[in-house]
Amino acid sequence: MENFLQLLINGIAAGGYYGLIALAMVLIYRTSEVVNFAQGEIALITAYFAYMLLDQLNVVFWQAIPIAICFAFFVGAMVEFCALRRAKDPNVLSLIIITIGIEMILMGLVSWKFGADPKTMSFPISPYVSVTFGKFYIRGLELLALLVLGVVFFSTYLFLSHSKLGTAMRATQQNLVVARVMGIRTKRIMMFTWGISGAIGALAALLIAPTTMQPYMMWDPMLKGFAGAVLGGMTSMGGALVGSFIVGIIENLFGGYVSIEFKSAVAFFIIVVSLFVRPSGLFAKHYVKKV
Amino acid sequence: MKKKGFWLVVMALVLGCYVFAQAEEGVTDTEVYIGQWGPQTGPAAPWGAVARGTDAMFKMINAEGGINGRKLTHFMFDDAYNPAKTMAGVKELQEGKGMFAWVGGVGTACGLAVKDYLMEKKIPWVGPAAGSLHWISPPEKYLFAVYPLYYIEAKALAKYAVETLKFKKIAMVYQNDDYGKNGLKGLETQLKQYNLQVAVAVPVEKGDSDMRPHAEKLKASGAEAVLLWVTPTHSVQIIGTAKAAGYNPQWMSTSTCSDFPLMMAISKGLWEGVIAVTFGELPDADNPLMKKYKADAYGKYAAKEERWGLFYYAGMLFAEPLVEAIKRAGRDLTRERVVKELENMKDFKGIGGRISYKPYDKNDPSCRQGQKEIFLVQCLKDGGFKKLTDWMEVPMD
Repeated sequence: MENFLQLLINGIAAGGYYGLIALAMVLIYRTSEVVNFAQGEIALITAYFAYMLLDQLNVVFWQAIPIAICFAFFVGAMVEFCALRRAKDPNVLSLIIITIGIEMILMGLVSWKFGADPKTMSFPISPYVSVTFGKFYIRGLELLALLVLGVVFFSTYLFLSHSKLGTAMRATQQNLVVARVMGIRTKRIMMFTWGISGAIGALAALLIAPTTMQPYMMWDPMLKGFAGAVLGGMTSMGGALVGSFIVGIIENLFGGYVSIEFKSAVAFFIIVVSLFVRPSGLFAKHYVKKV
Repeated sequence: MKKKGFWLVVMALVLGCYVFAQAEEGVTDTEVYIGQWGPQTGPAAPWGAVARGTDAMFKMINAEGGINGRKLTHFMFDDAYNPAKTMAGVKELQEGKGMFAWVGGVGTACGLAVKDYLMEKKIPWVGPAAGSLHWISPPEKYLFAVYPLYYIEAKALAKYAVETLKFKKIAMVYQNDDYGKNGLKGLETQLKQYNLQVAVAVPVEKGDSDMRPHAEKLKASGAEAVLLWVTPTHSVQIIGTAKAAGYNPQWMSTSTCSDFPLMMAISKGLWEGVIAVTFGELPDADNPLMKKYKADAYGKYAAKEERWGLFYYAGMLFAEPLVEAIKRAGRDLTRERVVKELENMKDFKGIGGRISYKPYDKNDPSCRQGQKEIFLVQCLKDGGFKKLTDWMEVPMD
């Protein structure tokens, strides 16, 4: 039982990182129906940017992190502005392929600029210190990730439902043409969404980077986050969150009790099964193709 | 007169063909072509330093006048640790430029992709940069391994853990491929000699980033020592996750993670106390050859950001036997002569352990395993090395 509960805690801890990525992916999907495979690499380049500020330029932590988040917003917005918006006769498939291309370009940029040697980013909390309660433990950094996820989730929710800009974002998602007719500058809204999503996803990388950094570090969390988002429903923020925790918990329990070799494959198995059984995800309304 | 001219042309052609047939591929009057692959991008890029090290060594040799009047021309390419790219690149260089021999070459899978091709063409390949059993079992006439086997490394660590540290429960985290499994086999074989079994063997998949279940399994086993047969990044993640779980055994590691300054930097000091195997002299060793390489190869030809680390000078270590054999072969350089010189090599000492080969015997894998010596080191607080043993040879069985 003790082992089970610890594995459960570990799963929730892993889900915290996946959740941030899933949230970012869902945000983009809701407005543009594009699955952003560059999400992990926008986060990656931000983590390396933060590493450059903190460890090479010796910028103070409390300044470096906000600058890095603004950088992520900028990168996200620029991906939309410079690449996706320029696509000729865009359809969802070609846009997704563009994101895959961007993913590769960003990873190449990071490898070229920073090299492939593993690195680690300075951080006020040691990645190896854990908080214990009774016989159980969770790493301080993981606890912080869960806290950040909670704050991001609620503030995004409030922003979308109560702010003017958030309402415009939802309107763009629901019907692009009508939104445009109503005077909403949908292109700007798109760019803004990509920026916000870039910033949210980057938080995951900034919380992973204190442990180890290397150009491939976001590939696994991105795919797991994507699995969580698919499971929860690509259009539901709450669903993405729950889906990510489910993925984290299942893979930890599976690794603990069944097979550690196939632990990582479980996430993809979940994608396949959920697409078979409930393609719209656990929490999203049934998928209806927008006209 | 016309007839005489005709016969002169015929003779010239016949002579030309004869000379052409005699000239060895990849050898000219002034150059010897040597090929090498190594990941400069992708997940294994840190090991790309191997090829750069070899390159600097060749440049140093050329600056000193080359070997027997010929310069070593080094052709290296980036295969990104992708066997398909290795195969394409090797074929392109071999069939386009014509290599005399191949040296180094990072990655077991990458090497396996081209092994048959090179062997069928009877092209010498010296010092694959991986300690796999595949290079010597079965032995190949033209393939000369230098890197001590991972299998032997694991045996040496297990021996030290049981005999010197008096541990009885030893576990292993291994990469779920040939590299990791070779290590596991070594650990199992050595423990069997003490009637012990591996406490737990935990596989790690290359792309996995969540090491929590792995750390839990290790902790549950209660092992006193854990052997790490994974990448540097995974090693750090496992030690960190285990530490957070309150589990601190004696960590031991393969030579691939014995670059202590690098390991200390990426683990934020967690690597202190880790025992590792190493197959080359230490970076700051008081060894004249190491000092020469550092000053004349690394000092003059390395890029500004290059570090004098294990992988870098391992590129020189792997190439040393080939360079020596080319030297011994003299001006009349052929592949067969190089093979013969390698086979005659006895206790050749470069910056690694002693290297010896034997005449080819298809039933004796050790005839193609050059270096069998290793030693153990422990990581100090400042990333320095504490030598735990002298050079030692561990038997295969």
